[in-house]
Amino acid sequence: MTNDTAETVPARTAPGRDEHARHSGAKPPTDRNLGLTPSWKIGALAAVAAVALVLGIWSMTRVDPQQIGGSGLISALPLTYFVALAFSLAGFVASLGLRRFIPGLLTWQVLVLVLILHGADPIIHGLPRLEASFRHLGIADNISQSGQLNTGLDAYFNWPGFFDALGMLSGATGVTDLTGIATWAPVGINVILLAPLLALATRLTSNPRQAWAGVWVFYLTSWVGQDYLAPQAYAFVLLLTLLALLLSTFSGWAWPTDRNRFCRWLARGVSRLDGSVARQGIVGPSRVDAAILVVVCSLILMAMTASHQLTPFAAIPFLAVFLLTGRLRLRFLPVLAVVLPVGWLLFAASAYLQGHTGQLFGSFGDVGANTLGALSTKVSGSDSHMFVVYTRLAEVALVWVLAIIGAITGYRKKTPWLAAAAGTLAPLFLIPAQPYGGELLLRLYLFSLPFAACLAVLPLMSDKIVASDRTGGLGLKRALILLLLGGLLAATTIVTRYGNDSMESFNDDEIAVVNHLYSTAPTGSILIEAVRNTPWKAQHYADYDYRALVAAEARPGAAPLTCDPVNEIARNSGAYVIVTDSQQAAADLRGSTPADDLKHFIATCGTSPGWTKVFENAGGVIFQIQGAKNGK
Amino acid sequence: MANERIYLSYATAAVAVAAVPLSFFGPGGLRLAVIGLLMLAGPGTALVLLLRLDPPRSMQATGVLPLSIAVAIAFSLAMSTLVATAMIYAGLWSPPAGVFILTATTLALLGFELKRSRTTLAGAK
Repeated sequence: MTNDTAETVPARTAPGRDEHARHSGAKPPTDRNLGLTPSWKIGALAAVAAVALVLGIWSMTRVDPQQIGGSGLISALPLTYFVALAFSLAGFVASLGLRRFIPGLLTWQVLVLVLILHGADPIIHGLPRLEASFRHLGIADNISQSGQLNTGLDAYFNWPGFFDALGMLSGATGVTDLTGIATWAPVGINVILLAPLLALATRLTSNPRQAWAGVWVFYLTSWVGQDYLAPQAYAFVLLLTLLALLLSTFSGWAWPTDRNRFCRWLARGVSRLDGSVARQGIVGPSRVDAAILVVVCSLILMAMTASHQLTPFAAIPFLAVFLLTGRLRLRFLPVLAVVLPVGWLLFAASAYLQGHTGQLFGSFGDVGANTLGALSTKVSGSDSHMFVVYTRLAEVALVWVLAIIGAITGYRKKTPWLAAAAGTLAPLFLIPAQPYGGELLLRLYLFSLPFAACLAVLPLMSDKIVASDRTGGLGLKRALILLLLGGLLAATTIVTRYGNDSMESFNDDEIAVVNHLYSTAPTGSILIEAVRNTPWKAQHYADYDYRALVAAEARPGAAPLTCDPVNEIARNSGAYVIVTDSQQAAADLRGSTPADDLKHFIATCGTSPGWTKVFENAGGVIFQIQGAKNGK
Repeated sequence: MANERIYLSYATAAVAVAAVPLSFFGPGGLRLAVIGLLMLAGPGTALVLLLRLDPPRSMQATGVLPLSIAVAIAFSLAMSTLVATAMIYAGLWSPPAGVFILTATTLALLGFELKRSRTTLAGAK
């Protein structure tokens, strides 16, 4: 056995096919033109997707955001939306089941699904989702205006790469308001993800149909909503591309497998588990090109390191498991993946490190706190929110069960499964590190999803397809099961992805309240939000002293809000208090305050001495609290 | 296929060249579209054109186009990030200069691609 797995696996092409292609004038048969599929069928399927798109967008424009309740968007969607979704799902499965494999048609079907399933925020609300989107715009604006990093202000400035690039875009174009980009980011990021997802899925599977089905399932189960204008979304694109590139160009053992006992044992074990290393998607660059690609991989790792705290650390277990399973030839890359983020933390992010050592390393090794402990903080809130939370847990469990069944099927059918299984499990090695603000499990699910999705669809691929006979479709029975599965996952994802919609989306009235606050409060004022969920900081990020009375997190048995903390903050310099609709929604949904407490807070404190209402509309209210220096 | 590569090279060069004046003046929408496109895919497209990500056997290489697109985008985003971050840490913040560096990188890679194509063509003759 050599150190290149690709060389060890017999090619699965029909004997003499390449020879025929080289020496015959006639066009050789390929996987694309074998099997006749009438053009009208292809046109009809494209038209079905187009109808789904138009109907889906029209349905979303009919949604009244006021009707969105505690269970999220699903309660406000009209029936026609689900018809559109059904058309989209059926169109994809029918396209996948055609005898002729048509990537262009599948691309169109997936893009339609992305718009229908992941485009609800921009289409319905027309504003960026999550208050973090506004913060991120503000950081980019701050960097663009000042050209400096305020590393003491918050963690973002210690991993500024993504914001630097966004600031450069803003500065070079003169467009200071990038709200439009933030609004459409969920759609844009999912579209951008298509290429790396497909390239990765191609390397993890034995057949393009399975790869496309895996990508489709990814979009159907990607509910964690990390696809907004954020460093993690950007870093996720880089991570997937890096992994796809490595598996495509540098696949194989990093050492001669007969070098010593351990290497022999490892190679034998891997071969026993999964001897059918997939050749699909392998690229054979020249020596010069390979050297350039190594540099490209290093640059991608560096950009990831400069942009996000978690993703570079997530790359380490991926590279390690691929190295140990004979899927990565570059021995130095896992080492570089360790050195870069650790070096960044020690030198570039030293300002953050000094003040947060306990937060960073305090939970190291505490698996219980980082998993169940973090999870228990999420399983709380109103009844409707609990329904959403349990649906999320059920969806994650379903994906994992399907992935396990897929891995077992792959093992029994001797079709490639090990790389996908290794990729699914790799992120779990991060669990002992830290809870990542209670969000670690969410992120790990996202990291493992591209791999788990490829495994989940494996049992639904027919034996012929698995055996790389790509001239056949899925078969009616399997196609129907895939369609049913897709329908179940899509319906679930509407609940899970948009379950927090009432608190994660904003309206124009709330933006007007925030704008009025900035026009009223002098620079340097203390601005207080009752609950941490305000669409502010998109500008003036460092110009004010921002405070929050309570976080938008569950606080079982939380005491009612009182005026005292505000009066205390405002005692010297005065302050402004802002209370908005989405703060109210967050408090109700998560249980941050007792029920209707914010209304009581407004009614009582708003009429107390020193409090003056300076603005109010349907989206919220602003109070000015007098201090010794009169609000400044 | 060769024609597609040539057209793509011209389009990439055009975006790269247009981005430089647009980083100083021009309608906001046009500046955002051109400079945004350069930062999203400029240097990476030039890189992918330079590389020969050809498969060892065509039957097994169905992932080459998605991989090429993915690398084009990821490399461009990485370059934009690293250039902007380097300017910040060097205390030399100038967004138009950053755009110029990306343009120069794109054109340099396209130049290498042109040279490589000619060498390959000469070798074939």
